[in-house]
Amino acid sequence: MSIQEFTQRSLRSILAYVAPPAVLLIGIVAFWEFYVDWRDISIIVVPPPSAVVERFFENPDFFWKEGGYTLYEATLGLMFGSSVAIALAVLMAHSKLAERTFLPLAIVIKVTPLVAIAPVLVIIFGFGTTPKIIVAALLSFFPTLINAMTGFRDVNEGAHSFLRSVHASPWQVFWKLRVPSAMPYLFAALKVTYPLALIGAVVAEWFTGDRGLGLVIFSANANLDTPTLFVAIGVLAITGVTINIVLSVIERRVLFWHESVRSTTT
Amino acid sequence: MANTEYHVSLHDLTHVFDDGRRSLTALSSVTIDVPPGQFTSVIGPSGCGKSTLLRLAGGLLTPSEGTALVDGEPPRKAQRAREIGFVFQDPSLLPWRTVAKNIALPLEVDHLERTRELPDLAELLDLVGLSEFRDYHPYELSGGMQQRVALARALAFNPTLLLMDEPFGAVDEITRSALRYELLRIWERHGGPAGRKTVLFVTHSVSEAITLSDRVIVLSGRPGRVRADIAIELPRPRTEEMEQTEPFLDYAAQLRRLLKEDAQ
Repeated sequence: MSIQEFTQRSLRSILAYVAPPAVLLIGIVAFWEFYVDWRDISIIVVPPPSAVVERFFENPDFFWKEGGYTLYEATLGLMFGSSVAIALAVLMAHSKLAERTFLPLAIVIKVTPLVAIAPVLVIIFGFGTTPKIIVAALLSFFPTLINAMTGFRDVNEGAHSFLRSVHASPWQVFWKLRVPSAMPYLFAALKVTYPLALIGAVVAEWFTGDRGLGLVIFSANANLDTPTLFVAIGVLAITGVTINIVLSVIERRVLFWHESVRSTTT
Repeated sequence: MANTEYHVSLHDLTHVFDDGRRSLTALSSVTIDVPPGQFTSVIGPSGCGKSTLLRLAGGLLTPSEGTALVDGEPPRKAQRAREIGFVFQDPSLLPWRTVAKNIALPLEVDHLERTRELPDLAELLDLVGLSEFRDYHPYELSGGMQQRVALARALAFNPTLLLMDEPFGAVDEITRSALRYELLRIWERHGGPAGRKTVLFVTHSVSEAITLSDRVIVLSGRPGRVRADIAIELPRPRTEEMEQTEPFLDYAAQLRRLLKEDAQ
């Protein structure tokens, strides 16, 4: 297969995946534009897409910068929450006592509505970056904990026995067997927790906002500046989609051996 | 105390699995002595504790009663000396590693100075006929090839004792028959200074047991007990033609009768 042929083929396959949703999206946007104009709906209630795009291009740097803050807080929170979750999962995968101790408390964190926690965090930590990181961390904690624990335990029975039969230490079993076995679970968790961390950061910014897209949404809402509201939502959506694409690309490289990846490439 | 006349000594082994609610006796008073270099098969109905027996001999389980010794010492000691090579029914390779890295896995856990000579990777790959596949991943190989990787991995330390738990149970019949003779060829060639390796081989195939073994031990159904201990006095090297000869067929009839009686 020549390089030209190869590029043609991969272009065609990308097109096959991108074209249908793109056509649908364009259709929805066109209908939206047309409908708002036809029914003469006020820009305060539903702005036409053209007004939203126009608002973005009036000051794109502003939106990217605020989005950057939110992404930064979400990422730090995600890293923090995931690290704690993974450390606990290691303990829980090795000890039933640890599981019985931590799991009920983890479930309490999971079922507590975050909107209720955010004001408390403001009182404790003030208006800085800390409460946002904590909310993002809390949201990403539970899925990571459960997936990591399952992953560390889901090791091939024979491979584990083999390692024990050659007197491998628990430490060696952990690094050579448990960690790679858990990778598919950790990637699955990450695809859920990164968007959750973004939500957490935005919600925290509503309550404690000094910057970020949450604040933009909050104040645009208060000022009935609906086009800005829509731009903020759009920037969040684009950020989420980009994260997902990047994660998928990394996943394909790291988990080349796993059936979830192999079944979609061949 | 060390009775090193036998390589593997299982004395009065009883094993009970107990999860707190139910208990299941897998083995009951099993005594088997295996001299060095002997190829011994253990055959019996499903659930008779064959795998448990092997795991006890390899030190992966501790018996509820009785003693399991390898070279006159607890099996943990043989594990530490890397004298045990395990092969399981499921090839249980690490899917993220290439063939070569799977075979080298046991060497990575080892920090001892080796006194015995270890086969190098190229030699092991050649031995199992996978030299051209060294950089492949397990999912690119057939079941039979994966099992050959598992065998090479078990041989990486050049252990004196091979414990094989229905290693060809998951491959198709034709591959299975080929693998059987390949294992014999490897066993006969890959002896090392200590003579041939001692092999404990669990199977539920009668013809496999006869083809491979110096001795076949028949276990009864749950809980497993030694029902018969039969020496297979066929000349070596064993050949496929031998499977049609009268002594072979007599052994097969004898073993089938024993297994059948037990099923009733």
